[in-house]
Amino acid sequence: MKPEIMAPVGSFESLAAAINAGCDSVFFGVEQLNMRSRSAHNFTLEEIFEVSEYCKKAKVRSYITLNVLLYEHDMTLMRKIVDVAKAAGITAVICQDIAAIQYARQVEMPVHASTQLSISNYESVKFYAQFCDTIVLARELDLQMIGNICKRIEEEGLRGPSGELVKIEVFVHGALCIAQSGRCHMSILTTNTSAQRGACLQECRKKYRIIEEETGNEMVLDNQYVLSPKDLCALPFLDQVISAGVSVLKFEGRARSAQYVDTVIRVYREAVESIELGTFSNEKIEIWMERLRTVYNRGFCEGYFMGKTLPEWSGASGNRSTDERVYVGQVKHYFDKAQVAELDIRAQELKKGDHFVVMGKTTGVVYGSVSEMMRDEKSIESSGKPSTVTIPLKEKVRYNDHIYLLKKRGAVQDD
Amino acid sequence: MIKVIHHRKKCIGCNSCVAIAPQNWVMDAEEGKSRLIAAREKGGLFVGEIFECDREANEQAARACPMKIIKVNQA
Repeated sequence: MKPEIMAPVGSFESLAAAINAGCDSVFFGVEQLNMRSRSAHNFTLEEIFEVSEYCKKAKVRSYITLNVLLYEHDMTLMRKIVDVAKAAGITAVICQDIAAIQYARQVEMPVHASTQLSISNYESVKFYAQFCDTIVLARELDLQMIGNICKRIEEEGLRGPSGELVKIEVFVHGALCIAQSGRCHMSILTTNTSAQRGACLQECRKKYRIIEEETGNEMVLDNQYVLSPKDLCALPFLDQVISAGVSVLKFEGRARSAQYVDTVIRVYREAVESIELGTFSNEKIEIWMERLRTVYNRGFCEGYFMGKTLPEWSGASGNRSTDERVYVGQVKHYFDKAQVAELDIRAQELKKGDHFVVMGKTTGVVYGSVSEMMRDEKSIESSGKPSTVTIPLKEKVRYNDHIYLLKKRGAVQDD
Repeated sequence: MIKVIHHRKKCIGCNSCVAIAPQNWVMDAEEGKSRLIAAREKGGLFVGEIFECDREANEQAARACPMKIIKVNQA
């Protein structure tokens, strides 16, 4: 069975991108009750209907992450989100707090057990199967442990509330947390920004020094990013993840750009199809890895899948992608018949031969390169700025879509 | 009186301001977001006034706010 590819959606752009890239399902946050309340665009209660319709049309399942710890004062909003999700025909809600799980069951809204529950053994899976049809396992399990859990579900015929066998979901790509699946107090202890409320300020991504109080001696560290793991990337052994019995492949990244979602989902879609066809090979993996490196990453590691004791350290601050995106301007108009886009160049000039990416709410992500450029009916080599130019572009883009220049980032070190 | 501005849309309902300055802040259980008592909405922002004696508590609340959406105006 081909696994479900579940894409992270933190904006309407990402939603369009995820669907165009071939995901089977999307997950997104609503209002402030989700683990990216600070960093992603969180949809409003009203927008749930719009997202749901969009997904239904594309025959893609939709999930709402309602996965923060809940306070007493969150109960009304939590219930509202579940009620609206049900009314809008959202496939399921992903929860951590028992209050949310309980309420969703009460109104017969399907529930997934969030990775925040750190479910790490079959007995836990069995417990949560009373409420949940899909269980997201803790990120800290290795492939063998995952395989054993999947095997026992089949052997014992463990079923969720829907009557179907319980599905196992794992994260295969994206940021890794230094704490147990996001159960981190670093951010709240240093800046009162609770990770458990989706406000994590990523203190772990900073540089640190270790100084001994008494003597003032400083420990020599290989790199000072001693708390910042590299990003998880299960692509090189995705066939093993699937054969372990995992039903849903999940991607971290609701705070990432639509371009990130487009690239990552496309690559994994191709990989899943290739595994299905039996053509998954090292040559292909290398090409896919190159593509994954073009978008946001802190370097890649195998996470906990292969049983290593610790994730590898990122050794650098923030993004190590090979390509970077520079804002150019906006689309003014698209001439459907002529397949020409009129661009309002503002921040950065565009030259012939440049590669670019256009992102927008309906457009999602469109890549292109400048083969021709016209201004005032004259062919030009570079746009200058500010200026208005037209370029041929096969794929439709729309008014107010943003256009970015893609260029190679200066010297990316790899250790 | 001192002006306090709350960018309420971005509130994540952590409850810090309510815990630190309960004389001026309450939790709205409908929306799960805090509310500056007697504040009026102006273009998406909630603007209210506090007494000088409550300045320190509100400044502390502003510092504690994880979203940095509380602003206490200088006298």
